[in-house]
Amino acid sequence: MIETRLGEFEEVILLLVGILGAEAYAFNIAEEFESQAGRPVSIGAVHSTLTRLEEKGFLTSQMGESTAERGGRRKRIYTITAYGRKTLSAARDFRIALWKQFPGFATGKLT
Amino acid sequence: MENKQHTPPRLARRFLLAFLRHDLAEEVQGDLDEKFLTMLRKATPARAKLQYWYQVLHYVRPFAIRKSTTSTNHYAMFRNYFKIGWRNLAKQKMYSFVKIGGFALGIAACLLIALFIRDELSYDLHYADGNRIYRVVEVFTEKGETDRGVWMEAPFAAAVKADFPEIEKAGRYNSGELFGAGSNQIRRDDQMDNTYEEGFVFADQELLEILKVPMVYGNLAHCLDQPNTMVITKSKADKYFPGENPVGQLMVVNDYTKQPYKIGGVIADFPANSHFNFQFIITMKEREFWNGEQNYWGATNYPTYLLLRPGTDVKQLEEKLLKVTEKYLLPLWIEQGRSDAKQLAKNIQYELQPIANVHLRNAGIGDPVPTHGDIRFVWLFGVIAAFILVIACINFINLSTAKSANRAKEVGLRKTVGSFRSNIINQFLIESLLFSFLSFALGLLLAWLFLPYFNVLASKSLSFPWGEWWLAPVMLVSCVLIGLLAGLYPSFYLSSFKPIQVLKGNLSRGSKNAATRSVLVVFQFTTSIILIISTFVIYRQVRYILTKDVGFDKEQVLLLQGTNTLGDKLQTLKDELLQLADVKSISASDYLPINGTKRNGNMFWLEGRNKIDKSVGGQFWQVDHDYVKTMGLKLAAGRDFSRDMASDSSAVIINQKMAKELGLTDPIGKRMMNYEVFNIIGVVEDFNFDSFRSDISPLVLKLGISPNIISVKLNAKDVTTTLASIETVWKRVVPHQPIRYSFLDESFSRMYDDVQRMGHIFTTFAVLAIIVACLGLFALSAFMIEQRGKEISIRLVLGASLENIFRLLTVNFVKLVLISIVIAAPVAWYMMDKWLQDFTYKTELSWDVFVLGGVMAVVIALITISYQAIRAGLANPAASLRSE
Repeated sequence: MIETRLGEFEEVILLLVGILGAEAYAFNIAEEFESQAGRPVSIGAVHSTLTRLEEKGFLTSQMGESTAERGGRRKRIYTITAYGRKTLSAARDFRIALWKQFPGFATGKLT
Repeated sequence: MENKQHTPPRLARRFLLAFLRHDLAEEVQGDLDEKFLTMLRKATPARAKLQYWYQVLHYVRPFAIRKSTTSTNHYAMFRNYFKIGWRNLAKQKMYSFVKIGGFALGIAACLLIALFIRDELSYDLHYADGNRIYRVVEVFTEKGETDRGVWMEAPFAAAVKADFPEIEKAGRYNSGELFGAGSNQIRRDDQMDNTYEEGFVFADQELLEILKVPMVYGNLAHCLDQPNTMVITKSKADKYFPGENPVGQLMVVNDYTKQPYKIGGVIADFPANSHFNFQFIITMKEREFWNGEQNYWGATNYPTYLLLRPGTDVKQLEEKLLKVTEKYLLPLWIEQGRSDAKQLAKNIQYELQPIANVHLRNAGIGDPVPTHGDIRFVWLFGVIAAFILVIACINFINLSTAKSANRAKEVGLRKTVGSFRSNIINQFLIESLLFSFLSFALGLLLAWLFLPYFNVLASKSLSFPWGEWWLAPVMLVSCVLIGLLAGLYPSFYLSSFKPIQVLKGNLSRGSKNAATRSVLVVFQFTTSIILIISTFVIYRQVRYILTKDVGFDKEQVLLLQGTNTLGDKLQTLKDELLQLADVKSISASDYLPINGTKRNGNMFWLEGRNKIDKSVGGQFWQVDHDYVKTMGLKLAAGRDFSRDMASDSSAVIINQKMAKELGLTDPIGKRMMNYEVFNIIGVVEDFNFDSFRSDISPLVLKLGISPNIISVKLNAKDVTTTLASIETVWKRVVPHQPIRYSFLDESFSRMYDDVQRMGHIFTTFAVLAIIVACLGLFALSAFMIEQRGKEISIRLVLGASLENIFRLLTVNFVKLVLISIVIAAPVAWYMMDKWLQDFTYKTELSWDVFVLGGVMAVVIALITISYQAIRAGLANPAASLRSE
């Protein structure tokens, strides 16, 4: 199922939504990505991914409150769904399983 | 804060909003603004702005871009527009009918005329070497008057081909009925029954080669190169030799079994858009109509066609052709002893007419083809078609605007519940397209239905071009174009309304275009009145022709045709017919005072004068003893031929014109000559034996045999029974040949078919133009009355009578129609005066025609407006005023 597949960038954005909690809106996520990953990303790219994740059912969103910095405009706050969480942890488990099979790293270095 | 004055670049924001989905607008703008503010804290304003642009451009992504109009929501709206449009159409049935019907009528008329024009322009364009084929026209100028004709001398074609290397081929035909062309009785030599056929002609093998006529059977290079051969068309071959190849078969013409014609080939029928309509082409090979005829330069009977070599300079060749006169004609004239020979030679010139011009540019050229078109009529038709279409288009637009004002409330409401201006524009354009589409569909249907009648009217055999590539695209493009054009004004006008004002009822409906509309009405009515007056004049001329005393009695004369094959049975037939109670007299003569009967040209002198003296040209008719009686000619002096006077074999009866030209005041007993000398025993009053377009020419009647047509003067109350008994006699005497007859008066009126046809065409267009014009007036009056609804109501409340209101509303329109009459009258007078100049005998243009035409226009206009005016006058004023 295509919907359950999670791209690398999607995974990061999904994680960032979870990390940012009530402050997870497009601009903030983009800023957070930039500071943590150390490379810039456009808000449009983030927004596009968020929309896609929402379509896949990993996220829900609703309009939040407005602030002065935004010229009084409201922001759209994204929240991770239970299905999103499950997919994230499945993705993590899958990767760890792969890491464990990798001979160079498999000998307890990671544990 | 210190950065308060810096704002994101406005252009970038406008760009963003231009493509961004509406539901994303708020959050995205918010995000970008927040980003901008963050940037301002970290970097320079310029960089922040640049960054803003970067962010905006990165929003050009599929998910964020507004979807185009194909969403289901829009589809639903379009369906709604159609539904509303259709309901509007159905609600105002009469208005819709008038609007669609009027436009459809205009489209249909225009389409039919377009077909007609296309057909006229397509004549003689289909020959393989068409651009090198020319017809020779002889131009004879004397005393400033120019005559053009296409009859050339028999040796002309061969002579010019030999003398001028530019001429590759030269071919002639001879369609003279005196020589046996025209109509004849024909049969296969193995059968007995004759059939009457038309389209006989004598022609050269080379003429067929010039035209490169397509062959069905036989070889084009040899089909006419043997003596006594004949080429027939495919349809005649199918008729006489169904399913077989007739080449080599024999056919007998007019029972002349001594010399049957061998079929040398079968050609495809000449198309309807060719000026040739030959069916039976008899070879000229080794044929002479009299001794030495083929080398005689003194008679002109042959229309001649030339195929020029590629690259020939036509103008130069025309000048070189002048040598023909010097070389061949001058010696003949000198030999004949003509004193003016040199001068005469200078008067003759030759023109080469491209074959494609023969059909339409034939004005002033005498030729044997009776059915030529006229480029002037093609133009006239085109102009009329354009007028009708323009009038119809503007009507359509006018009706749309006039009625659209009623929709203001709907527009207000639509806007209030959330329509954008573009939605309103779309709605009105779609409605307009719907109307235009229906009109075009109906117009096509009308054109198709009327095509048979139009064919009769224009004497054509046009077919509807359903299968042709241009029809669908042209119709569709014009349909959309006119639909948009008609819809643009109302849609932009109406969509500009401010909802609040409309719903409050504050809409001001100014009549900005009153002047334009008035000009339009004047234009429409001027056209209509010109057509009406022209129709009256044409019909008056037709009536004049048909009722004028022509000098002979054309009533109750039956013409029995094809009697030349009867031989000695002719006398039997005459005798038996005379036994019938209702038959007054019988005469056998091919020379009758109607078109299509025999004519000739002869020179006459008074006895004793020398042949160098000026001669009188005139007709020389062979008639029998009963001719004068049967035709009802009136003797002005002298007596009729008598069977008791043996000397009458050298006696003649002349007409008054001949007496005058010969300079005889008392002709009886005088003697005149052409090759023999004749006693003049009688003078008949002049009678019109040719068209009214020409003067009566000099005429000499002589006893002689000429038995193609028998004229039977009847005195019958019951023509049907008499006809039946005549048929019985015919069948008994001539069992192998079907009887073929006509009536003299019918044949006479057929001479003026073209005039009558023009009358019908003008009537049709006049009726059409006035209908379309009235539709326009109808729309306009509806519009005006609607605008003045409140004013009329107030007048009614204050005591105005219906009559007052009626006068108030109609007086302006009547003024416009009067202006149209003033413009139309001189134009119509000029046109009709020119037209009547074609006739030597004509009715006068009198003022009553103009008055009649004008009154008719005013009355029709008044009737049209009355409906609206009376309705407005009778309306309950309260209904209109309540909304105040």
